[in-house]
Amino acid sequence: MSKIACFVEKYNFSDPTEQAALQNFKQAAEKLGQEFQFLFREDISDIPKFDAVFIRATTDPLNAAYVVSKTAWELGLKVIDDPESITICGNKIHQYALLEKYNVPRIPTIFLNKDELHHKKIKGIFEQLGKPVVLKAPYTSFSKYVEKTACESSFREVAKRFFKKSDVLAVQKFTPTAFDWRIGVLNNDILYACKYMIPKGKWKHGAKLRGKATFTWGRTVALKRETVPSRLREVALKACSVVGKGLYGVDLKEVDGDFVVVEINDNPSIYAGYEDQKDKDIYARIISYLSA
Amino acid sequence: MLVVSNLDLTIDSSVVKPSTFLGSTIKEATLNINNEYRYLKTGYYVSLHAEVLGNKVIPSCENIIDSSRTPVLLLRAARAGIPTLPFLVTDSVKKIATEMGFPAVLFAVNPFIYEGFKTAHNKSALYRAMKSLGMNYKFAVCAQPLKGEMVTFKSFFGKCESQDIASQNISRKLYEAFNIPVCKLHIQKTPDEAFLCGLEPINKQELTDQDLKTISKEVMLFSEQGDTLVVQNRLFC
Ligand SMILES: Nc1ncnc2c1ncn2[C@@H]1O[C@H](COP(=O)(O)OP(=O)(O)OP(=O)(O)O)[C@@H](O)[C@H]1O
Repeated sequence: MSKIACFVEKYNFSDPTEQAALQNFKQAAEKLGQEFQFLFREDISDIPKFDAVFIRATTDPLNAAYVVSKTAWELGLKVIDDPESITICGNKIHQYALLEKYNVPRIPTIFLNKDELHHKKIKGIFEQLGKPVVLKAPYTSFSKYVEKTACESSFREVAKRFFKKSDVLAVQKFTPTAFDWRIGVLNNDILYACKYMIPKGKWKHGAKLRGKATFTWGRTVALKRETVPSRLREVALKACSVVGKGLYGVDLKEVDGDFVVVEINDNPSIYAGYEDQKDKDIYARIISYLSA
Repeated sequence: MLVVSNLDLTIDSSVVKPSTFLGSTIKEATLNINNEYRYLKTGYYVSLHAEVLGNKVIPSCENIIDSSRTPVLLLRAARAGIPTLPFLVTDSVKKIATEMGFPAVLFAVNPFIYEGFKTAHNKSALYRAMKSLGMNYKFAVCAQPLKGEMVTFKSFFGKCESQDIASQNISRKLYEAFNIPVCKLHIQKTPDEAFLCGLEPINKQELTDQDLKTISKEVMLFSEQGDTLVVQNRLFC
């Protein structure tokens, strides 16, 4: 029997479908004969008492979740998300640089340093990527720091804001689509597949603040994992292979009949009735991976 | 060996500015000298860029992140044989008061505070410290028992300005484990022992001309040892 700690914060229970998913993990674990316990911030020092840690709280190298992950990893526990995945996925510059290095199909991207915010550079960016462009702060999640701009003055305004926390940011070609593919990957294998529909008149699939009850998401349409087009499967798995062997949610867009990676998320959302619509065994698969 | 630095080093060989390096694809073992290796700051991106290029680099991104997360720093330091004290990571005042007691020294564990610590000799001081370090109890803190006196000093390539042998040992061993060339250490001194408590960046203004000379000398020594950058290979599984 394996003792699994599920590291959560209070906000993980504020959305009923996320709460239901967490209960599904617990039930799946118990059915498989494993012990599953929620671990809150108060008890982080209890990590050595467990065999595995499953992190559901938002991860970032600067969050308590990283401390949890690295502590578990140092002690030889099985851990999702592992510290390296948090480090890579938590920073868009890091992951885009790796996608480029390993030639994974991606959206054309330029990195911008703090001291490059001048007319010549911005002009060059617009020439290279067209208008509008998408600016991303490296630490963004839940679409919070992803903004579109079509002129130099708003480019400067957004960039200045993003530069407050990070000295480098990413600029991308604006690539709108009707939906984002979200491919769940565990241990180099497809776990689930869905389409995150982009609401009409919008270009991002959702604008949500975790822990807040109100948010607007586009619909989620799930597919059975066997039906994922083979090229999509190939690109999604290749993208994850540059990060690691854990649990990821890869966002891809279909452009001109091929697929490009928007980003690789560690700590992908799993909400009951959404990602699990077609593949009900995702809970058991993750638990089995953790207790193997 | 390539030296990338934002500091005015006085060395013979050339020093590349961080912005120049970030825009380049120089494939060479890289020594990244910065007063501030903070996650998301230029010092971090220099190491990241070097790693993505496949360069050996000091310090590594992993060590930059870990050395600034106090509980991870202490855990890894203890495993490297560096004296540390048992610690608690929690957002519960009660837990610290009952399981550890007083006096205590507290470090922040949140995305916003990266320097300093607070000490608490009783419960009300502990509440105050956790309110400020936890940003209104929103985040966890790392608590350690306070057994002696807190001292803070600069450490360059593992050499520190302290005369105390135990502190010097901590500084040297910590450099061997984390390879942070320029940093400030918080150490707890008792009459016959010393314990590592925390590490933080140095403000540029805090670096004196003498400090810059010391760092430059160390950089020269480092490059004279040839291109054999010894970087610990810590593989993830
Ligand atoms: N270059 C782009 N062109 C058009 N749309 C984009 C582009 N980059 C991102 N988007 C859209 O914006 C949304 C958020 O982008 P991204 O995933 O990169 O940021 P994030 O903050 O990590 O968001 P999340 O955590 O919700 O995935 C997604 O719906 C994505 O499809």
